[in-house]
Amino acid sequence: MSPAIETHELCRSFAGVAAVDGLTLDARPGEVLALLGPNGAGKTTTVRLLDGVLRPDRGWSRVLGADPAVDGDAVRRRTGVLTEAAGLDDRLSGVENLVLPARVRGIDEATATRRAHELLGRLGVAALAERAVRGASTGERKRIALARALLHEPEVLFLDEPTSGLDPVAARDVVELLATLAGEHGRTVVLCTHHLAEAGRLAHRVAVLDRGRLLAFGRPADLAAELWPGVEADLDLGGAAAPATLAALRSVRGVLDVALTVDGARVRVEGRDVLPAVVAALVAVEVPVYGAVTRAPSLEDVYFALHSQAVPAVPPPAAGVPRAPSSPAEPRT
Amino acid sequence: MTGRAPAVDRAAVRALLRRDLVAVRRSKAVVIPMLIVPVLLLVVLPLLIGLGARGAPAPDLTRFLDSLPGDLAAPIAGLPSHEQLVVLVLGYLLAPLFLIVPLMVSSVLAADAFAGEKERRTMETLLHLPVRDRDLFLAKLLGAFLPAVAISWLGFLAFAVVANTVAWPVLGRIFVPTPMWLVMILWVGPAVAALGLGVMVRVSARARTTQEANQLGGAVVLPLIFLAVGQSSGLLLVTLPVALGVGAGLWAIAVLLLGRGARRFTRDRLAASV
Repeated sequence: MSPAIETHELCRSFAGVAAVDGLTLDARPGEVLALLGPNGAGKTTTVRLLDGVLRPDRGWSRVLGADPAVDGDAVRRRTGVLTEAAGLDDRLSGVENLVLPARVRGIDEATATRRAHELLGRLGVAALAERAVRGASTGERKRIALARALLHEPEVLFLDEPTSGLDPVAARDVVELLATLAGEHGRTVVLCTHHLAEAGRLAHRVAVLDRGRLLAFGRPADLAAELWPGVEADLDLGGAAAPATLAALRSVRGVLDVALTVDGARVRVEGRDVLPAVVAALVAVEVPVYGAVTRAPSLEDVYFALHSQAVPAVPPPAAGVPRAPSSPAEPRT
Repeated sequence: MTGRAPAVDRAAVRALLRRDLVAVRRSKAVVIPMLIVPVLLLVVLPLLIGLGARGAPAPDLTRFLDSLPGDLAAPIAGLPSHEQLVVLVLGYLLAPLFLIVPLMVSSVLAADAFAGEKERRTMETLLHLPVRDRDLFLAKLLGAFLPAVAISWLGFLAFAVVANTVAWPVLGRIFVPTPMWLVMILWVGPAVAALGLGVMVRVSARARTTQEANQLGGAVVLPLIFLAVGQSSGLLLVTLPVALGVGAGLWAIAVLLLGRGARRFTRDRLAASV
């Protein structure tokens, strides 16, 4: 199956400063791809390049088989964009903010109006359908803008910082909403965010960007596996492990790393099958083991590990991700 | 078979135009000045001047008319002395003041349409629509130009009613529109609207807010006001051929400015600035 989105060595700079620098990635049909990175990482520029709003300096991209730099209108007909600023006209009502752009897309007035009412109702902002959006909260504006992005039933949806400016409750609501909407109709979604929980909740794969360059690209679990080979487990020993206990753990064949924790120790082992030997070694030195729980590194661990490495960039996805720090539990920088 | 894309995507332009007009209609900050100035210039002012001129004893305008260049004074000099003041003021001296209306309306709307989109952070939404740059530009131009011309013409209709009504007791006939008024309405006025538009398109490319655009654009409006004041004091009365020539010159400058504006109005440039 050909990718819904594909970029190759995509570059764009502004006044000599690279905003996107050699970006190579892809998104499969129906996939949610998160572009993860701090402000200035190049997420918004990437979306603008993919939607044909900006032209690349070098490299190319394909969205639904078309080159946005050449067939921008053809691409934009099949995409929907939720921009970081909701971009609503305060003077227009909720419905008008949806219907007037839909008319530009060639949707007839009656259909656009019907869909606008349906979407606003579904997104919980029906009260703003017939009144000017001036005075609406940031969360309500985001929802109306999301409805606008969805009204023409796009095959690809770009969501640029969908929860920025929202309070935690509104942000949670919007993320839940996106989780429902993202998978509908086999739609491909590109989610730009610097909220790790949001990406972790919604994305199948993540592309971690920094100053326009791709630091890593893949499934969070795969990235973690490449960063930290093996399996990590927390050992509950009823209190911080003694030096002798740590030494005993290090002596077990297959143990890659040992770290002290408040409740005992954290070990990194080559595989799950090493854990029984770890427990046996502890029992052999009469250390009580109250629990041994494997721990999967979170997206947060991956993200901060990648950013803590002051490497300029990594090779394209096929070549893997850069070498990792010793543990996902290391202090973040 | 693949058809060539039409030169203008009329449906998209119409939809964008409608969006801008609906939004502007809701904006008091835009609508009120757009209505107040025409009402003052084209209704209140001629009413007061007309009533004053009607009530005053017929002044001797011979010296004033003799000072006018060429055959400019001929249509007025041939009138009975009690008609001369009313016809001079309402039929000739106020005509250039009328130019402020299309200039102001097109400038205000253009600032709202271009700089206003940046200020409201709605420009990016437009850039993500499937509409060509030139169609977007055209819709924005029409959104300012058509209302400017429409308001000017409606204002002129109101002026004609007021002027003819006020002057009726003196003249006993309809005298507006004069040939000079027709040239102003149909030729010079739209040219001035286009000129204001051309200037504001350039200004708005640099301005980040409507207010900033209006302030920068004020540099264009002020000379026109001076021109109008000069005209009303009799210093700059022009003949019809000169008015036609001035109109042609304004059109040429406007087309030049708008052409340059169109070349610079690209998604890439706009996206880089928002």
